[in-house]
Amino acid sequence: MDTLKNKKVLIVDDEPEIREMIERFLRKEGFFRIYKAGSFAQGLSVARTEKPDVAILDVMLPDGDGFSLLSTLRSFSDMPVLFLSARGEDEDRLLGLGLGADDYIVKPFLPKELTLRLTGILKRVYASNASEQLPVFRLGNQTIHLESAMVSRDGKEFPLTAKEHAILVKLYENQGRIVTSDALCQAVWGDDSFGYENALMVHVRRIREKIEEDPSKPAFLLTVRGLGYKLLAQESR
Amino acid sequence: MDGIIRILRRYVGLTILLAVLLLIINLILLSSLIFKEIHDEPSPESVVKQISQGLEGRSGKYTLNAAARNLLDENQAWMMLVDADGKVRWGERIPEEIPRSYNVIDAAKFSRYFLKQYPVYVWEHQDGLLVVGYPKNTFGKYQFDVRADWLRSLPVRILLLLVCNIALAILVSVLFGTRLFRSLKPLLEGIHALAKEKPVHVDTRGILSELAESINSTSDMLQKKNKALIARDEARSNWIAGISHDIRTPLSMILGYASELEEQPELPDEQKQQASIIRRQGERLRSLVSDLNLVSMLEYEMQPLHLKPIRLSVMARQVASDFLNNGLEDCYTITLNVTDESLQVMGDERLLYRAVTNLVQNSVRHNPGGCEIVLETSQSDDGDWNQFIVSDNGTGIPKEYLSEVVLLPYTAGRSRPARQGHGLGLPMVAQIAKAHHGKLILESDKGQGLRAALVFPVP
Repeated sequence: MDTLKNKKVLIVDDEPEIREMIERFLRKEGFFRIYKAGSFAQGLSVARTEKPDVAILDVMLPDGDGFSLLSTLRSFSDMPVLFLSARGEDEDRLLGLGLGADDYIVKPFLPKELTLRLTGILKRVYASNASEQLPVFRLGNQTIHLESAMVSRDGKEFPLTAKEHAILVKLYENQGRIVTSDALCQAVWGDDSFGYENALMVHVRRIREKIEEDPSKPAFLLTVRGLGYKLLAQESR
Repeated sequence: MDGIIRILRRYVGLTILLAVLLLIINLILLSSLIFKEIHDEPSPESVVKQISQGLEGRSGKYTLNAAARNLLDENQAWMMLVDADGKVRWGERIPEEIPRSYNVIDAAKFSRYFLKQYPVYVWEHQDGLLVVGYPKNTFGKYQFDVRADWLRSLPVRILLLLVCNIALAILVSVLFGTRLFRSLKPLLEGIHALAKEKPVHVDTRGILSELAESINSTSDMLQKKNKALIARDEARSNWIAGISHDIRTPLSMILGYASELEEQPELPDEQKQQASIIRRQGERLRSLVSDLNLVSMLEYEMQPLHLKPIRLSVMARQVASDFLNNGLEDCYTITLNVTDESLQVMGDERLLYRAVTNLVQNSVRHNPGGCEIVLETSQSDDGDWNQFIVSDNGTGIPKEYLSEVVLLPYTAGRSRPARQGHGLGLPMVAQIAKAHHGKLILESDKGQGLRAALVFPVP
């Protein structure tokens, strides 16, 4: 994990105070190879010479805009980019994300949010190469192998069907949070999945038979009445 | 062009009425002016009759009584009595040229027409034929011979005449009417287009040219004013967008450093608390800034809507889950009441989500002691509206303020300052509803909770 803090971060923003503040927060988080640029041209030259691993770009720059800077960067680099902009209209966000940005944060922002999202991006891009596998986690006596779609209990293995697997992945990604039945249906059956609620219930019951000690009194896969389901994972690794 | 046909029909009807009235008036005038004159003085026939009665005497000795003589004088007439042999027996003021004896042919001739150009009238007297002659050129004598069946069919003929008249009136009025309305039609169309604020250019030739010019200049004026209005709205909206943009950078620093201070372990608790207050107020400013921009875009209808069918029940579950997932305090409960899963509206997902979350957030913010929040999706009784209702059993809003809270702060009509929050929340919800051709209906009173219904037309 700490290798992420070795990554080179480029900050491009026309406001020196913002640049300093971001740098401060990043240093506090443990990043130490930080490059700053105040303009389009400067940012581009730093990107060429230092080859940063990730860039935080402002949209409004004195000599151009962040969108075209991203396009130019893309011509020689695949590094992840996070937009940090005062322009928060839907159009701008969509434009930025459409150009291939990895995230878009609207000012004003909380420093925590910025560092969390930045590490999130870095994890996705650089750390996942090693383990781009779905996780294995324990629920009580059961171990759920999402990668191989297996539940093992007392030395026995129960395979998960594709639908059950998709439901569990969605729940696992949002563990501890309520996932609405609509979101689950959409994850399993795709858009326009109106009318699959009963099918979902059936699948959830089958999942419970595999992962719960007592499927009629679930301890891990809880029903939130009227809303959806919630997965309480005890430990994950 | 339904209106034109109606106007034309009225016009034709009026013309027919006018024609009939004119006919009647003419008849009355005819009878009173022309026939009255004849009745004014006694007709020659009655004069002859009276003279005949006033002629007294026998076998050559005759006298006129005073009344008959008067009549003669008044009419400057002369008279003679012709006996059975054609001899003038007696006369009074007979002109020289009048012969004194007549045969049957002469008598037949003058009795019908003139005697030496004197209009004469005859009456049978006991001693012969009484002839009264009027001065030359005082009367015209015409012979009318009428067949009996013609006379009998006269009422039918008069009726036919009337019908012909009416038909002619209709024809003429339709002819003139259509011509008039053909020239009116572009003007009418122009006025209709004016009402729809479309640019109008009417042909200014013809009898109604002045009217056409007025319409054109009105249209030009409207267009110009509209353009100015749009430009002003745009300027205002841009101004707000610019301001809120410029606020974002300094606010980032306030939020950033305040939250950093808050997390400094070596800082005394009091300072940490102060930093936390700065951060929270900064967050309030942040939500104000982002709301302000959206509100101004909605206000001037500049927010592009990304419409797609949205199921209300999905939205309800999403909102409720998000509130629960984000740590809604235990003193609040959220209940779902979904009557029909399939109810949907055409809407912009982000905007609708924002509107509903705003309503729930509103209930939370104004009831710090906790309350029950119910999300309900249903269809109106008449089936024209799909509604999303957010209700709580909290403190409510006094009835008299209900109409005010949906107005933007600092606008005409909103006098009270917002109690908590920044006062943009409910106006924004109302505007989002309006942008979806729906509306926000608030029902509340002090202590009775708030029921906010977002109603949208059924797609």
